[in-house]
Amino acid sequence: MKYVPKIFGTTLALWAILATVAAATSLAVTSTVLSAGNAAVPVCGVLAASATRTVDNASTVTGVTVSGIPSACRGKTLLVTLTGQTGASLGTSSGTISSCGTTCTVSLTGSSFGSVSATSLYGYAFAVTG
Amino acid sequence: MRRFRITPGRIALALAATLAGSIGIGYATTLPVSSSSLGTASQSLTKSSCTVSGTSSTTDTYIDQNSPNSSFGSNTTMLVQPDTNKIQASLIMFSLSGCSIPTTGGADTATLTLFITNAPSSSRTLTLYPVLQTWSGSSTWNTAHSLQVGSATTSFATGTTNNVSKALTVTIDVDALIKNPNANFGWEILDGGTPAGGDRTTIATSNNGTAARRPTLTINYEK
Repeated sequence: MKYVPKIFGTTLALWAILATVAAATSLAVTSTVLSAGNAAVPVCGVLAASATRTVDNASTVTGVTVSGIPSACRGKTLLVTLTGQTGASLGTSSGTISSCGTTCTVSLTGSSFGSVSATSLYGYAFAVTG
Repeated sequence: MRRFRITPGRIALALAATLAGSIGIGYATTLPVSSSSLGTASQSLTKSSCTVSGTSSTTDTYIDQNSPNSSFGSNTTMLVQPDTNKIQASLIMFSLSGCSIPTTGGADTATLTLFITNAPSSSRTLTLYPVLQTWSGSSTWNTAHSLQVGSATTSFATGTTNNVSKALTVTIDVDALIKNPNANFGWEILDGGTPAGGDRTTIATSNNGTAARRPTLTINYEK
């Protein structure tokens, strides 16, 4: 029984290490989508969004329009990430979901993503945040 | 004071206690980040290319102010010159139906290649304008000289050498017509410069006997 405090101390130290790792993991995920680990999470239906983009004559993306957003998401924020061939982010922008009929549409300027070439664009990632 | 010794039993006890605690931490961490509750989605794009050339997919001609009722849609060359009362302007349009690009797609790059068979005696600057109205291979000066056009897409120098290709970037126009195929009226090629002697540029058409000289539209696109 006299070793219990020492075992307890060792265990506590290991807990502290793991808690730090867990907190770091939580930050990485939440910084992409939500403002905090326990913030309110928007639930506005299955997000079946799709996007089209326009370009200028130099192939730079000039605009991105996302459609197919459930109307229950009205008033929330849509985060759009342009992704490259490896899935890496080429640029991120966001807009308020406000133009809605049966579904909602969000239009973003190309410059809000930075200067992205359409030739490098291989996909989109969407997230609705509260 | 006795030294605390690390024994296999004590290590096992510490690990068991740590594991129990970490499971609790891990569970609490992953709860808020399930994909369904965040409203996330993704979309992948497929890249491909398409080349359009030849009479079956190209309509090209020129209009001549000096022959206002004549059409030149079956000629093997088309002309561009700025001469007063003798203006000549070329028209070219491609059908993209064979490319099967969905209207949700878009052009990454698009290049129009023209072949100059006879260059002017001094280099001219020709400008490409997207046409916004209907025309055909049988159009004449009188029916097409006032076609509405959009902002210039690009300009290029003809040079003075015969039998050379010119690659012109037309990505912005092809991207637009992919998204709205009903607005495909091609381009008008004009010389807006000051007239001079020997200022005519002659360009091969889709009827040209040498396939390599025919106008070609190369599209790299996403869908």
